Amino acid sequence: MQITFWGVRGSYPVPGAATVRYGGQTSCVEARAANGDTLIVDAGTGMRALGNKLSREARAPAHYHVLLSHVHWDHIQGLPFFSPAYVPGTKISIYALLTAADELHQVIGGITRHEFFPMPLEAVPAVFEFHQVEPGVELAIDGFHVTPIALNHPFGSVGYRIDGDGSSWAYVSDTAPFNEVLHKQHFLPGPEPLSDDDKLALSAMREALVRRLHGVDTVVYDTHFLPEEYAKFPHYGHSTPDQALEICAEAGIRRLVLYHHAPTHGDDQMDRISAEYHARGARQHIDVVTSYEGMTLSIGPEAT
Amino acid sequence: MKVRFWGVRGSFAMSGREFLRYGGNTTSVELVTNAKQRLLIDLGTGATEFAKQLMHHEFGKGAGTLPILLSHTHLDHIQGLPFFTPFFIKGNQIRILGAAPLSGISLEATLQNQLAPHYSPLNGLENLAAGVSIETIRPGETITLPGFEVVTAAVPHGSMWTTAYRITADGKTVAYLSDVEYPQIDDPLPEALALAHEADLLIHDAMHADHDYDMRRGWGHSPARAGVVVAERAGAKKLALFHHSPDATDDMIDQVVERTAARTSVPVIAAAEGNYLDV
Repeated sequence: MQITFWGVRGSYPVPGAATVRYGGQTSCVEARAANGDTLIVDAGTGMRALGNKLSREARAPAHYHVLLSHVHWDHIQGLPFFSPAYVPGTKISIYALLTAADELHQVIGGITRHEFFPMPLEAVPAVFEFHQVEPGVELAIDGFHVTPIALNHPFGSVGYRIDGDGSSWAYVSDTAPFNEVLHKQHFLPGPEPLSDDDKLALSAMREALVRRLHGVDTVVYDTHFLPEEYAKFPHYGHSTPDQALEICAEAGIRRLVLYHHAPTHGDDQMDRISAEYHARGARQHIDVVTSYEGMTLSIGPEAT
Repeated sequence: MKVRFWGVRGSFAMSGREFLRYGGNTTSVELVTNAKQRLLIDLGTGATEFAKQLMHHEFGKGAGTLPILLSHTHLDHIQGLPFFTPFFIKGNQIRILGAAPLSGISLEATLQNQLAPHYSPLNGLENLAAGVSIETIRPGETITLPGFEVVTAAVPHGSMWTTAYRITADGKTVAYLSDVEYPQIDDPLPEALALAHEADLLIHDAMHADHDYDMRRGWGHSPARAGVVVAERAGAKKLALFHHSPDATDDMIDQVVERTAARTSVPVIAAAEGNYLDV
């Protein structure tokens, strides 16, 4: 199995001279099995370029599977620009957690309401199918085995462990760490005091994440913040590379991929982050890699 | 009056080396009077860069005031809203002015929906710390903003309407006609000609190269030549091609400018992210 990064940025796309090397498009990763089966994880703005590539290589209309971590704009904004959707005969299955809404198709279709986009989802030639996911309820999609994992993010999000070709990787974005803030179904102007139940909920979420990640070869993790940035915005729902390393060390992960870069982190700063955390990871025997647009990684055989 | 383009791209923000000279951010344009009064048009991703500049000054201290005109609420014109940092500072006063997107759907409801909890952790306009007012324009009316007089008109944009603006300050006039497609592309509507009448700068939708237009007729956008017709008939003094296609690399835009300039005596530029330009 290989994974390719089409968008590595968090929050919003950032064009310009400062992002030409790491890339400015938002979250989108493609997983491809040896037999060509493809899974798309998140539908941020990186999905436009992915769609153009898939259109070029498709010999016939295909069936695409898209796993969404959640439906914040930076994770769904690419969907209306996914060119295979405009080819009759294409089928697109979308898997997502249902949060803060009654129906998945209303939430996803809502991004192409007439006020927002010229063509509503219902008028797009592709047939869309929506599947609600539940943390811990495993899915079989083509040759992939997919396990949704609950994460700590405003109004909820899920990560995915993806097994295929005898190897596995996991997508853990977006998430806050599991100690200071518990994200629920309301707006947080700042950190709220944690009740005993909140603390239990956080430790249960963390424990389940580490357990699900156990034995995974490569983990792609939300490392939006540097520690000093996180300290100012602990309620924004994102983690630091330090927090990702801690989870990966406990789960015995071989390789950690830094992902969902803050839009304010330019290429030169990304170089420094990359070098520093690669060195820190090496001390814990974890290969820390910083994702950039266009990067492809081969997922190794499952660690034992 | 000065103008600065913070975002010139249509539909989709483009990052990468091929988009550095004209810029990849979606639409956002700042106007500044000689007395430093400011006005922003549209909240595409370019607005996030403008926000950084604002935060260095009074907006960082919660003492800024800014009117923002929206042409319409397609995503490329509002996607910078949740990341426009002056909204997060208490004390700033920001007015968002625009037409109701459709009959029966208000501007406020549309922006609320953009910030709905499934789409944005902000969970609604009421959670923006700044004072934010949403003001509905009835296209055709004239608005007075501090330092600026603004004439408005509805123009057709595919299956909806956008609001076009004629903005006068310091005795100079800028016309903003983005996201427009006239029923007869070589015969612009009188509303557009009136807005652009003897404008010092006409900013016009030029999403399509002329040779691409036939395939994309009815999509709501203009070929480069449409702006030329408006500029010539309205007597505009300069034309800025705007709302560049996400597929148009810097080199392709160079060619569009060259071909467009060759067909008219009106000076033609392609809008580019960057410096303040004198109007």
